[in-house]
Amino acid sequence: MIFDLALKDLLQMVRDKRSLLFIVAMPIIFTLFMGFAYRGGSQNDAEADHRIPLALVDPQPDSRLSKMLFTRLDSSDSIRIVPMNEDEAMNAFRKGEVAGVLVIPAGFSEQAEAGKAAQLNLIAEASSSEGQSLYQLLRVPISQLMSAVEVARLSADVQSNPDEYIPSVELAWSKWNENSKISLVRVEQAVAKGSESDWTGGNPYNQASPGILVQFAIFGLTTSAQILVQERKTRTLQRLMTTVMRPWEIVAGHLLAMFGLVFLQTVILVVFGQFALGVDYLREPLGTLLVSVALGLWVASMGLLIGVFARTDDQVILYSMVAMFLFSALGGTWFPLEAAGGAFAAIGRAMPSAWAMTGYQDILIRGLGLDSVWLAAGCLLLYALGFFGLAVWRFKELEV
Amino acid sequence: MKAIEVTNLKKSFGAFQAVRDASFMADSGEVLGLLGPNGAGKSTTISMLSGLLMPTGGDASIMGHSVTKDPEAAKKSLGVVPQDVALYPDLSARENLVFWGKMYGLRGAGLSSRVDEVLEIIGLTDRQKDHVGRFSGGMKRRVNIGAALLHKPDVVIMDEPTVGIDPQSRRHILDNVKELNQQGMTVLYTTHYMEEAAELSHHIAIMDKGRVIAYGTHDALIKMIGEQTRIDLTLNAEAEKVLDAWRAIEGVAGIDATDGKVTALVDDSNRVLPRLFDAASKANVRITSVGIQEPNLETVFLHLTGRALRD
Repeated sequence: MIFDLALKDLLQMVRDKRSLLFIVAMPIIFTLFMGFAYRGGSQNDAEADHRIPLALVDPQPDSRLSKMLFTRLDSSDSIRIVPMNEDEAMNAFRKGEVAGVLVIPAGFSEQAEAGKAAQLNLIAEASSSEGQSLYQLLRVPISQLMSAVEVARLSADVQSNPDEYIPSVELAWSKWNENSKISLVRVEQAVAKGSESDWTGGNPYNQASPGILVQFAIFGLTTSAQILVQERKTRTLQRLMTTVMRPWEIVAGHLLAMFGLVFLQTVILVVFGQFALGVDYLREPLGTLLVSVALGLWVASMGLLIGVFARTDDQVILYSMVAMFLFSALGGTWFPLEAAGGAFAAIGRAMPSAWAMTGYQDILIRGLGLDSVWLAAGCLLLYALGFFGLAVWRFKELEV
Repeated sequence: MKAIEVTNLKKSFGAFQAVRDASFMADSGEVLGLLGPNGAGKSTTISMLSGLLMPTGGDASIMGHSVTKDPEAAKKSLGVVPQDVALYPDLSARENLVFWGKMYGLRGAGLSSRVDEVLEIIGLTDRQKDHVGRFSGGMKRRVNIGAALLHKPDVVIMDEPTVGIDPQSRRHILDNVKELNQQGMTVLYTTHYMEEAAELSHHIAIMDKGRVIAYGTHDALIKMIGEQTRIDLTLNAEAEKVLDAWRAIEGVAGIDATDGKVTALVDDSNRVLPRLFDAASKANVRITSVGIQEPNLETVFLHLTGRALRD
């Protein structure tokens, strides 16, 4: 009889064309959309030039020292040189198009090579991080350039041969350039556990597919909870209570239907993710199954709870929307909790939706096995038990 | 063994006593009418009989099974037709009947053939594939009854099954009840329509304010009031102007005024009626219509409670 009641519920749900839209069509559309968004973001990231833009104002760009400095700066991984005249440079700086302006005064090369005091001007926002960075990044090559000039000039003086100056300055500059490529201190990038630099594991749908799956599993319960509300409104629940079915069997029948609906939706989205989007759920099929079953039981229990608390269809929709946004946003279905950090991530990790995401992403992104998902599935089942207990308690209190 | 036996049944909701020491019974194969105005306690009583409410005191049994001590066995013998149409509007008539049959433990070919039989009984074989939500009120009520008959219960409880439907569907339902009864089913039929109770019932229990105030056959109940006659009067003014004068007239056993209509229970209408006119004239009240009714269940109710059944 429990099975018969569940089948009846499922028949009613399937007959509701709107529910098919929300159970199948919308999640697939949103998965594609979110995947594109994540992929677009990461592609843009890869193509973007993250170097600090610096306007270079040089009235004598063909002078020896100007050419040497430009070549060095232009090959930098940190600075992007944009040659401009002074007016253009200042406009660009004001508009924020460049982080600073480096002005090489007219006669700079001649003065430096003559041993006279020569100074470059850096115009930048001293209090900004980019301004500070520019100063640090320019200080070294300019010092090296001036050092090379000084060494070459001294060498020519020592040898009393002015012709030695040019080979000496080029030699010294080339040595500085070689040395600058050798790091004296090696820096290793340390990645904290769970904060992998590529949070989608190489496929943006690894986040989008389980994220939307969890989100729409929660939203899908609207239909199933409405069945329970309708049953009270049409007095069919009262009639059920006059049959030989025991109250717990009625609750179990509805729970089974809700679980069936959520699980069916999950299977559709997993299959779609696997074969259409390359999300490798089947890398660990038992793990995926375990997380999906636990997710289905939790969501079904919550649907049951909403169904027994809500008095009208409008309340069902309201409660379902609140649940969906709360558990989706806090549970990391839209973005990884690692990206949020702090208190948000700490609260989010306690959410059942976060455990579902952890379970799926252990398989999809972190490449872990069945052992890794037991904890996530266990936590989901505990939540399911708690929600189910509340629903049964409320059901007993209902005035049918 | 009695098919239905109700003994000192009580139900309270906080301080409010909805049913007070109600007692009645029905033999196998009879129709028991439970008659009373809205709020008399009929629905609460049948809610206890059908296992929806636990009695506060007393007990009731269906085919010898106590509803408090052995509710499952009692439910197996019972089919309940709720007052509201309790069906799934998005399922067809047949799908509804199949579902409710399963809820009573029927399966397979037995269920299918029984559904066919019930569709025949309720006269909806040709509409069995239509969604119940598209049915008229009368057709819904017929499916509502059919759903309670699938498991061939010994006892069927019908809670006001003809409320708010057209005369044709009402006739169909009353004929169904008679037919089921002829097949041996015991029917507990609650209604506030005294003509339905009179037409269908072997025994009638009249309830008012949570109590069973009379129980017996139709004829026995009528005899309770002797030769009294009911007179219905319509006035051109407030009844209060003349009610006290009329109550003082010898031969007036009871009088009730509601919504501009006055109902009087009198010993001898030929002798009392002129006195009623006389008193009305003295009070400057004009009687605009008079109706004299032979004693019926409404007269009984008026006799017992001092109020008309329509209250």
